[in-house]
Amino acid sequence: MSIEVTNVTKKYGDFYALDDVSVSLPTGQLTALLGPSGGGKSTLLRIIAGLDTADSGTVAIEGTNATRLPPQKRNVGFVFQHYAVFKHMTVAKNVAFGLEIRKTPKAEVRRRVDELLELVHLSQFADRLPSQLSGGQRQRMALARALAVEPTVLLLDEPFGALDAKVRKELREWLRRLHDEVHVTTVFVTHDQEEAMEVADEIVVINQGRVEQVGSPDELYDEPASDFVMGFLGEVTRLGPVRLRPHDVEVGVTPGRAGAIPGTITRLLRVGFEVRLQVELDRELGGGADPVSVVLSRSHARSLDLELGSKVWLTAAVGAVTVPAMVAV
Amino acid sequence: MVEVSTPVKWLLRLLAIGYVFFLVAWPVSTIVREAFADGVGAFFDIFSDEQVVNALALTVQVAVQAVLINLVFGVGISLLLVRYEFPGKRLLSALVDLPMSVSPVVVGLSLLLVYNGRDGWFGTHLEEWGVQIIFSGTGMIMATCFVALPLVIREVVPVLAEIGDDQEQAARSLGANSRQTFWRITLPSIKWAVVYGVVLSLARSLGEFGAVKVVSGNVANQTQTATLVVEKQYQSFDQAGAYTVSFVLAFVSVLCIVVVSILRPKEHH
Repeated sequence: MSIEVTNVTKKYGDFYALDDVSVSLPTGQLTALLGPSGGGKSTLLRIIAGLDTADSGTVAIEGTNATRLPPQKRNVGFVFQHYAVFKHMTVAKNVAFGLEIRKTPKAEVRRRVDELLELVHLSQFADRLPSQLSGGQRQRMALARALAVEPTVLLLDEPFGALDAKVRKELREWLRRLHDEVHVTTVFVTHDQEEAMEVADEIVVINQGRVEQVGSPDELYDEPASDFVMGFLGEVTRLGPVRLRPHDVEVGVTPGRAGAIPGTITRLLRVGFEVRLQVELDRELGGGADPVSVVLSRSHARSLDLELGSKVWLTAAVGAVTVPAMVAV
Repeated sequence: MVEVSTPVKWLLRLLAIGYVFFLVAWPVSTIVREAFADGVGAFFDIFSDEQVVNALALTVQVAVQAVLINLVFGVGISLLLVRYEFPGKRLLSALVDLPMSVSPVVVGLSLLLVYNGRDGWFGTHLEEWGVQIIFSGTGMIMATCFVALPLVIREVVPVLAEIGDDQEQAARSLGANSRQTFWRITLPSIKWAVVYGVVLSLARSLGEFGAVKVVSGNVANQTQTATLVVEKQYQSFDQAGAYTVSFVLAFVSVLCIVVVSILRPKEHH
């Protein structure tokens, strides 16, 4: 294991940012710390980097106890949400910073910087100042700067959070490819489940200072350990006694199947290739009068000849992921 | 922006220009005129007066030392105020502003009370160890430091707060220790605020009068600075001398500000 976090607790006044968190992050993988804002994931990342200190608990990096090491001795690369570029230095100087601190010979520094700028596609910007770069370019520069020191682990704190949607998507794919090339153990923080599912080998879901679940994107999606994980990784609706994904609700136009719950379509919305329905159930089953959300493909909806006010019978699809609905108190 | 009618616009401009003219430009320009009233030759004659030369030299010595001390402590206190949380921080921040509001004469008197050799709180002990503060250069530097203390800090603090500590944290994570982080990241980022603070301090230190007068003893050729010479010459009806030294003081201050405003815009390119 590359990073071992054991029983880490961090309090701000009365607020538990992290409450007895233990987690192991495997070597060479791309791990996402996923959770809602204020859930403690950034705090955990900063504690791993040494930028914050835990009130109790230990952090080990590649077998070395790093709990009391200052950040400059941990050999981690850190990428900040708002880039943290050195404004008064050129792009090349920014990237060279860590190497110059380590008294690397000049020729070697130049070679490494050229190589890294090539890697992040910024070679032609080497002599520019960061203020002349776009947000995406700045973040790639920050990444090259962090990689320059050949860190044991690369930590990214909401690296794409300040970028617009299109650039974010591009950089996300690029990060995945980069990781496949350089294979450095990487941990990144995000509150975007799509980002985590798309990029990460493994996801650690963190909520209210606790680890909710650790697993591959598929495991998390298919076998959510809690209501929270299920709700956070995708849309959830409630059908009678269970909660499930809207696309796992089967729609029938006749009362044929066993256990089918009848209802009426009260909203019908077409978004691109999919159709979203809201179905008002005829009678209450197991409490909860909220309408059921259903998602189906456009062609499927057309074949069933669905329209507003249609009478439908709903069942959970075979093999659907379901969790028991919490009983409303 | 609010639209103002043309006559009002002109009236406002006239008012602003008139205010600055009658308060600053005109009085200062008369100093220039008086200093050169008897020609350039007479102006340079003043530099053959040993008393004036000594006073100018002393002024420079005191001002430069005070500025250096304020530079080090000013940047240090600024970092403390912006980057760290500690009990009494607000009190420290208020104390730093105190020299702005307290009259320099009061500053001089308070230093006199604490450090004088006869009955001062520290002064008597220091005197026993052979350290004299009042009526010496040390006291004059202390008085000058006191009055110029806030100038560096008030320039540097807002800039430090604005740049935040992201860059410093990034430097730490890249392996820089706190000394390397300060010299390579923090200082270059606040460079212009520091330069501005130093220039303002220098201008203020060169012109300090009240506090220095109280602690120096005003002994010609020994503890008499340029501003004290101006006062003495003026009172002994040597107006020409007073105007000339005044002009030198004003000239150096204006020069400081001009040099900085020429240097500063380069930063943006």
